[in-house]
Amino acid sequence: MSATRDLMCALRARLGASDPAPPRVPMPVVPAPPARVYASRREPLRGDAEAARHTTALLGIGHVGTRYATDVVLQFQAELAVAHEAVAAELPDGWAGDHGFVPLVSRVASHREFLLRPDLGRRLAPDSLQRLRDRAERGKDVQIILADGLSATACMGSGPALYEALAAACQRRGLSVGTAVCARFARVWLEDEIGQEVGAKVAVILLGERPGLGTGDGLSAYLVHGPQVGKTDGDRNMMSNIHARGTPPVEAADRLAALARAMIEQGTSGVALDLARVAAEIERGYRAPQVRQRLVERDRKEP
Amino acid sequence: MLLEPIVPAVLSVRRIPAADPAVLAAYGADPARHVSLGLVTCDQDDALYVALDEATKHAPVDVVFARSFYAGSAHASGRLSGEILGVIAAADPQAIEDGLAALISCLAHDACFYDADGKRGVTVFPHVISSLGHYLSREAGLAPGEPMAYLVAPPMEATLGFDAALKAADVRVVKLTPPPTETNFACAWLTGVAPGDLAACAAAASAFAAAVVDVAARPQAR
Repeated sequence: MSATRDLMCALRARLGASDPAPPRVPMPVVPAPPARVYASRREPLRGDAEAARHTTALLGIGHVGTRYATDVVLQFQAELAVAHEAVAAELPDGWAGDHGFVPLVSRVASHREFLLRPDLGRRLAPDSLQRLRDRAERGKDVQIILADGLSATACMGSGPALYEALAAACQRRGLSVGTAVCARFARVWLEDEIGQEVGAKVAVILLGERPGLGTGDGLSAYLVHGPQVGKTDGDRNMMSNIHARGTPPVEAADRLAALARAMIEQGTSGVALDLARVAAEIERGYRAPQVRQRLVERDRKEP
Repeated sequence: MLLEPIVPAVLSVRRIPAADPAVLAAYGADPARHVSLGLVTCDQDDALYVALDEATKHAPVDVVFARSFYAGSAHASGRLSGEILGVIAAADPQAIEDGLAALISCLAHDACFYDADGKRGVTVFPHVISSLGHYLSREAGLAPGEPMAYLVAPPMEATLGFDAALKAADVRVVKLTPPPTETNFACAWLTGVAPGDLAACAAAASAFAAAVVDVAARPQAR
């Protein structure tokens, strides 16, 4: 094990030493570390199961030794993977056209640039701007924009359904709806430029929201009255968590249409909008808390 | 016995789990990063320098202090002094424990002086480090992981040994310390002209040891 000792042994032989080399000191045997088996501590505490029913937060998950149980760690990793995958997903070329939308692209050139340069995602590329001018109807009440945002998965999943539901809900309320457009590499503020260009009273952008643990399929909707470049977040109203386990698209569409109508009636949006006057339409009743999707099997029975 | 390993004696090993900041600072440790110290004295200074470096390869420890004592272990200030005090520092006592285990194993099985005349009247340290840790690599100005020949012998033997080593293999001098040193030996650190040339380091060490044995046997040869 010692290179130098081997070297000196060889040199000794070369120099003609006849007496035998001293025996090697044996290396100590390193004992294997003891296998430590920890008892699982998953006996339910009073009330933690009850508390866990009201939230998707990790409550009452117990522990094994000083660590989480394996299935809890696997569930966490699986949920994180879902979120990573959603952020990494890209809207394929031609998806918008295939689904009956006018395809638009922001000034972003690549997905990486999209993540790093929010400012470029807020403005339309010149050729997209020209396409919008050529093909979009002008002067409508509501311009709805479907977009990928931070989850193309969500956009491709429930995006078209939410779009259809919202367009129908607006028309039921007597609001005219603009040409269907779908923007790629889009940030929320892109609705300002599109809405301004088509002269809509209200612009609504439906886009994939930044994924949380296990929810890569959530959509958000942002509404702004009198869209024009330079509007701030104070001018917007929004609704998040539009997915099957949060607010279902059909229910969300109804409330969004009510908001759009209130904006047109009051002639404003954002913090200036008086929500009390439309409370009955947009307020939601009691909603049971979200149920955490189990992405991995539990390795033992529920306590 | 000619070229018999002379296993170094570890004279004392102590730990300070949480050292006083003033002690840490005085011995070259950084009180912001280091808490625990491990201290070793040994009767072979060069073997301990190599073993301290070995410790940095096995545990997150820093060698903060390593100094040879004047005139060597034959003239030590006490029975535990030997000829060197080495100090490793770490953020926690377990790292010190792991570092000391590697250090002591290295002293028992690897780094040592060899008998160069069969009577232990002349000793030689022709050590080959196949992969430098971050202590000696910093001292030598080489990259961690580079091989190095660590060559030590008494003044006359060493001088002829260095010459033989440099001629025998494709090596270059990293640092050469002519006598006298604290222990009155001479020391040279060599590495391959080509980076990572372990075979050249081994050939140099072998030629060095052979030259030292030759000088010890024929001190007046012409």
